[in-house]
Amino acid sequence: MTVWQDRRAMPRTQRATFSAYGYLFFFLGTAVTAILASDARVVLVLLGTLLFAGVFHSQALKLLRHRRIWVFIVPTLLLSPLVIGEPDLEIWGLHLSRGGFWAGLWMALRALCIALAASVFARAVSVSQMAELLEGMRLKGLGFALGVATNMLPTIQETMQTSYQAIRLRGGFRSGRFRTLRLLLVTVIAGSLRRGDDIVSAAEARAFDPARSHGSSISVTHADLTLAAAFGALAAALLLV
Amino acid sequence: MKFSVRELVYIAIFGAIWGAVELTLGSYLHVIFPPLADTFLVGMIMASLGVIVALVGRHFVPKTAAVFMIGVVAAILKMISIGGVTVGPMVAILAESLLMELGLLIARKDTRRGFVLAGALAIAWNFFHKFIMMYILFGKGVYEVYVGMVQQGASLLHIDLSYTLLIIVFLFLIRLVAGGLAGWIAWDLGRVVHDRLAR
Repeated sequence: MTVWQDRRAMPRTQRATFSAYGYLFFFLGTAVTAILASDARVVLVLLGTLLFAGVFHSQALKLLRHRRIWVFIVPTLLLSPLVIGEPDLEIWGLHLSRGGFWAGLWMALRALCIALAASVFARAVSVSQMAELLEGMRLKGLGFALGVATNMLPTIQETMQTSYQAIRLRGGFRSGRFRTLRLLLVTVIAGSLRRGDDIVSAAEARAFDPARSHGSSISVTHADLTLAAAFGALAAALLLV
Repeated sequence: MKFSVRELVYIAIFGAIWGAVELTLGSYLHVIFPPLADTFLVGMIMASLGVIVALVGRHFVPKTAAVFMIGVVAAILKMISIGGVTVGPMVAILAESLLMELGLLIARKDTRRGFVLAGALAIAWNFFHKFIMMYILFGKGVYEVYVGMVQQGASLLHIDLSYTLLIIVFLFLIRLVAGGLAGWIAWDLGRVVHDRLAR
């Protein structure tokens, strides 16, 4: 299966509502409105983001179960009363700022909005669609390169681990760490390029020509335009009010 | 800009290597040093490694936009990998690859000097990245970040906070030097890899 074909696997209902452009508008629109929304208004943006994610791509909400996001959010909440604003409260000997707490809370919610929107975009738009969007921006052959990179990534990660362990077992990192790191990089790059030659041979044997790439077949739907207009109106309202 | 199949595969490989470095070492370092607590180290380490990989890639694909394409591939791999908070690194990767292209365009020919310029420009972004991303993600006043950076710089140098301007210049210069060094290393490394493959 080529990277261009996996769009067929998407559910029909999703294709009928928003295209890749729609999800891109959603991501960009959420980021802009989250930035423009001051203080408690960011709660409304978050509610809107959660609603959109829940209705159109509930898989994206799995992000909230991810420990990584809380590793990012919780320190923001904990540190902000300590580092932002003038201390006006003392708890267990810690000088805290109420203003800092609220600022931290709005900051955390804003980050959550943007992370959720990014999650919706990343989950709703396939790699091939992302490549199509970028090929539409005159980056010819990017779809092919992205397909190769996606397939090569696990192999490269494995090569990195194997090379690292091999060098470490030979006592490579005990002395001359910089030289060892250089050796590791050379090994990984040279190994990957050798594998790349096989891919080139396979692609050329199939008469693949990047100049004949498909171009973008994604078109903007009415739903995309409605969403973009809604975000435009919301951003204008946030600017004016 | 038209690329041959071989060049596209090389772009894919260098993008994947940059992506793999970001996914493994980058994720690990971002957990050890939470973004709000660290304003210096992680970004510079990751940017330096990214610059080295992308500029070695330029050795193998000596065409305009090759480094940017490598950056785009790495950024997309970073984005689709976990679906978590990857907006910051994605923006950094794209900005660094664009600045490397700019450096290489200014230098016109692929020389060691051009690589050093490209590396320095790319990692200079790292200095502004914190301010921009903090504003985008958190809406946090730039002032607080400024104070955090100044305090870290002061503790690093063991000097008084009144030398703020000196510290700011020092932090920026460190990034420029690190970038230049990364470009220098990439120039040598590219030749070493070429020799290794020719054997």
